[in-house]
Amino acid sequence: MTGLERILAAVRFQPTDRVPVIPQVFGHAARIAGVPLAQYLTEAAVLARCQISALQRYGHDAVFALLDVNVETEALGSLLRFPEDGYPSVEHYAIEYPAAAAELAIPNPHKAGRMPVALEAARLLRRELQDSVLVAGCVLGPMTLACQLLGAERALYAAADEPEAFERLLDFAADVAVSFGQAQLDAGAHICVVFDPSASPAVVPPILFRELLAPRLGRLCEALKHKGSPATWLHIAGPVEPILPFYPGCHVDIANIDYCVDPRQARATVPQLCLDGNVRPLAFVDSEPQDIRAACSRVLDGAGTGFILSSGCEIPLEARPDCVQALVDSVKRQSG
Amino acid sequence: MDAALSTLVTNLLDGDSQSALTEARRIRASRPDGQRLLVQGLEAAMDSMSAKCTTEQFNLLEIMLTGRAAMAVAREAFPEGSVSETRGTVVIATPQGDVHDLGKNITRMVLSSKGFRVVDCGKDCPVAEMVAAAAREHAFAVLASGLISSVVPLVRQLRGLLRERGLAQLAVVAGGAALKQCAAEALNVDYVARDAFDCVQFLERWPR
Repeated sequence: MTGLERILAAVRFQPTDRVPVIPQVFGHAARIAGVPLAQYLTEAAVLARCQISALQRYGHDAVFALLDVNVETEALGSLLRFPEDGYPSVEHYAIEYPAAAAELAIPNPHKAGRMPVALEAARLLRRELQDSVLVAGCVLGPMTLACQLLGAERALYAAADEPEAFERLLDFAADVAVSFGQAQLDAGAHICVVFDPSASPAVVPPILFRELLAPRLGRLCEALKHKGSPATWLHIAGPVEPILPFYPGCHVDIANIDYCVDPRQARATVPQLCLDGNVRPLAFVDSEPQDIRAACSRVLDGAGTGFILSSGCEIPLEARPDCVQALVDSVKRQSG
Repeated sequence: MDAALSTLVTNLLDGDSQSALTEARRIRASRPDGQRLLVQGLEAAMDSMSAKCTTEQFNLLEIMLTGRAAMAVAREAFPEGSVSETRGTVVIATPQGDVHDLGKNITRMVLSSKGFRVVDCGKDCPVAEMVAAAAREHAFAVLASGLISSVVPLVRQLRGLLRERGLAQLAVVAGGAALKQCAAEALNVDYVARDAFDCVQFLERWPR
């Protein structure tokens, strides 16, 4: 089976030759290639080259045409600061109050900020790798984009103090995600990960997720499927147990589970969803390869079918390559 | 519990700043022991939020709203300054390289409403600056909040830098999404807090 076939089979709960494995290698690909992160995040050819190099090194099942969490907000007018060798952060937010989103237009993914870099990276990766592995793009979910446009603190207070304006902001954020996500699929991404860490129950109450976020995530996932995406992947970190039951209603096929979530409990909650996770991300920095192998065994024991072995969240930039390799080798050893 | 106090606590837990403030003013105007009651109400609300956190039902938004309401009531009760600052001074910061300061700000709010004096060194803060602030402000604890893994090596330096300044007796506490994945020994700190309330409980136990 190819990596892509393996992942799609897992999504459909069909037999696979081995458990699919996706270490969430984003900027870590630049680090191991010795490339400055700022270059990786601004030059599509560099990103694609580093992702392919990481794929050849580790032998996993997916690559990511993913820059960072600031692509959309930058395209909408936020000013970023790029540190020497780290991810950028927002220096000045695009809007100061939620109603100001009414003055923003949906950015053209082919022109605005670094969106074209993401599209070009998806195109290059797909051209090079075809259907041998999953080529994943990424969009921010509505809650996270709202936080990235306004600042997390202001956005959260706005959710309580200005609910109507905040809902309009969420609608706008979902529209941005649909437009950018569909453009990435057009460019060559097989699927788009919907990355929405600010929707975590660690950040907002599950009732807010159910009432405000789930409908918009559902609209987004439906739009991505309508564009031809064979599956949708919702990535929310933290203790997602209370919101997992809402995922199927959001048209989610793959649910990321972080290290703090028990895979057995998650499986029992959403037996129909493919899960991916959930080795502790920092373990790739502060542990030994044998610790990773043990952690993988524990995760796989409780996972059942319809499971993709992965880190609970992004592999840290400074992760030890031998630890990442141990994750990938765990499934190969199991099958071999 | 006293009916007025109970209403105040409910308003605080609902995160309803306006109603909490109205109730606080009513208590202060009508009761000779008003100020003491307001402190009781603040304590009760924060203890209730703390209990909720230990059952892992907490989220940042609820804590922010309750914290904001508590700060409004604290300002009403003590217009000259924060609650009473009898529990000592702590220094808090998000270390250099990390600009995610929401968790730090929430912890600051919770600590302030629990009676600690908080010196906030901000985000993207060099650890040497945190240590200098601890010395200058006679703090008994230094708190580092970090969302991203790149701050781990910086947090590991804190204790050594404190020792160099003759401040080995200070508590060093870490928290935040990245740091709470680590054990205290791995970070060379005294404690890794699960959340702001867990941090408060640890600080309340720290000898000083």
